[in-house]
Amino acid sequence: MVEVPPSAPDHRPPPADPTGEPLVELRGLTAGYERSAILRDVDFTVRRGEFAGVVGPSGSGKTTLLRAIAGQTRHFAGTVASNPRPGESALRLGYVPQVEAINWNFPLTVGQAVLLGRWREMGWRPWPRRRDRELLRNILERLGIAHLENRQIRALSGGQQQRTFLARALIGDPDLLLLDEPTSGVDIKTRHEIMHLLGELNRAGTTILMTTHDLNAVATHLPRLVCVGEGAIVADGVPEDVLTPEVLRRTYGADMLVLRRGDAIYVVEHLDEAMAAADEEAAAAAASGG
Amino acid sequence: MGGLAEPFEFEFFVRGMVAATLVGVLCAAVGTYVVLRSLAYIGHGLAHSIFGGAVVSFVSGISFYIGATIWGVFTVLLVNAAARRRQIGGDAAIGIITTCAFALGVALISRHGRFTQDFDAALFGQILGITSGDLAVIAGVLVFSAAAIFAFWKQLLFTTFDSEVATTYGVPVPWVEALFSLVLAATVIASLQVLGATLIAAALVIPPVTARLLTDSFTRMFALAALLGGASGLVGVYVSWFVDVSSGATVVLLQGALFVVALAWAIARSRWPGTGDGERLSAIESAALD
Repeated sequence: MVEVPPSAPDHRPPPADPTGEPLVELRGLTAGYERSAILRDVDFTVRRGEFAGVVGPSGSGKTTLLRAIAGQTRHFAGTVASNPRPGESALRLGYVPQVEAINWNFPLTVGQAVLLGRWREMGWRPWPRRRDRELLRNILERLGIAHLENRQIRALSGGQQQRTFLARALIGDPDLLLLDEPTSGVDIKTRHEIMHLLGELNRAGTTILMTTHDLNAVATHLPRLVCVGEGAIVADGVPEDVLTPEVLRRTYGADMLVLRRGDAIYVVEHLDEAMAAADEEAAAAAASGG
Repeated sequence: MGGLAEPFEFEFFVRGMVAATLVGVLCAAVGTYVVLRSLAYIGHGLAHSIFGGAVVSFVSGISFYIGATIWGVFTVLLVNAAARRRQIGGDAAIGIITTCAFALGVALISRHGRFTQDFDAALFGQILGITSGDLAVIAGVLVFSAAAIFAFWKQLLFTTFDSEVATTYGVPVPWVEALFSLVLAATVIASLQVLGATLIAAALVIPPVTARLLTDSFTRMFALAALLGGASGLVGVYVSWFVDVSSGATVVLLQGALFVVALAWAIARSRWPGTGDGERLSAIESAALD
């Protein structure tokens, strides 16, 4: 019997509403870039109100799945159907790229960066109107970065940078929030804060689809998990059902252990890692709780 | 009358000074986007390519402005198409296409030696030979570029900051890029008579980079670059009268001197304790808000 330390407090949002109407439907989609297909024959549906995570090894097609939904890929076969709100021709997307993909030296303040997400609603003027400024203020306050409005984006901490680009995504009132590795490169406390914030947004009605590398601290806490391996969806469902040694072998091409204790699930390659992961969780819980 | 007001007695000199000021503003404003997209090389390449276009239009007996415009737009489209191939890359595409276009111009000149004199202006600029017609073209391009930048300010900024993400937010990136290519080509063509192919790249790049050293806000960088570009055009031509040096070269040397001063200031500032970028920006912002 393997002894697993007590789990961290549960920040997970309520389970996804399986009866929510489909927001995006990929059917038999083969998509990629230029001449190479990354995703192959993918069937995937995101329903309104869901909070889903996409996991898989580097190069498996996680980001490409997000980009296919965002219309940034070349489609070789299959379809992407979306269900925009009445009177609109396309889904409103709030896309938050990986922090590594952002040019942090660009002379942009937090306020200027966030208002880019509202470029369409701002009309023809280059400058924001009173209504835009009010919305900006509200969104920055909601995310706890109102005091940073005039700070250049490079002069922010990792968590503040994520919040800035989350604010840019949210100010456009998106139907679907697409986040590419929102917890990569941030410390444990910030990761917990970001996941807590995303949980709150989801409870308030925002549909979220995010990729993550972090199986234990992030993926196991999500209501729905999609495993992508070599461009195909290997498994899709609640973490309890999806995270099995068989699925993980097919996703990652490596043998992994799955340890369960109560509601907590730990995925590790070696037993030492289980202890380290649990310690990290406990430290994060202490950090965010204290 | 003599002394400091002496040059103003000559109409050609006043015309040249106005032209240099307008071209300084135009190049610096457009150059802000060029610099932030790390496209400094395209300004250099495009100017040389358009020199080739100028020779071809002369040989075939069509107006310089019509021939150069067609040639310039064609070059930009060709560079964009070549740069999309990942095996080539943007810088190499610019290098190949623009130098070939330049070489074509040189080849035609060497074949018809009698043209050589006429193309001195296109290579090195001839501020004091500016006609009222040239001035009208410069003013027209300035108005057109200002209108395009004003009307598409948000789209241009978003595309410059992150073109891939801008697409997901509904920005029509290919159209915005095509419009910018047109503005850039028009800017280079209008500036050719004033600065010459060899100095245009400097006018596109130096004022925006100088402005970037002095601010972390995009709006201020744009305004400051235009101000520095215009001022150095005006002062440079005026000073060139007294020091008896080529006007275009004086303008660019003045811009270079301003850059050195800004760089020295930026270095000195970064060495003072407690004046890191974040604090400096906050200090500037709060001063502006007070």
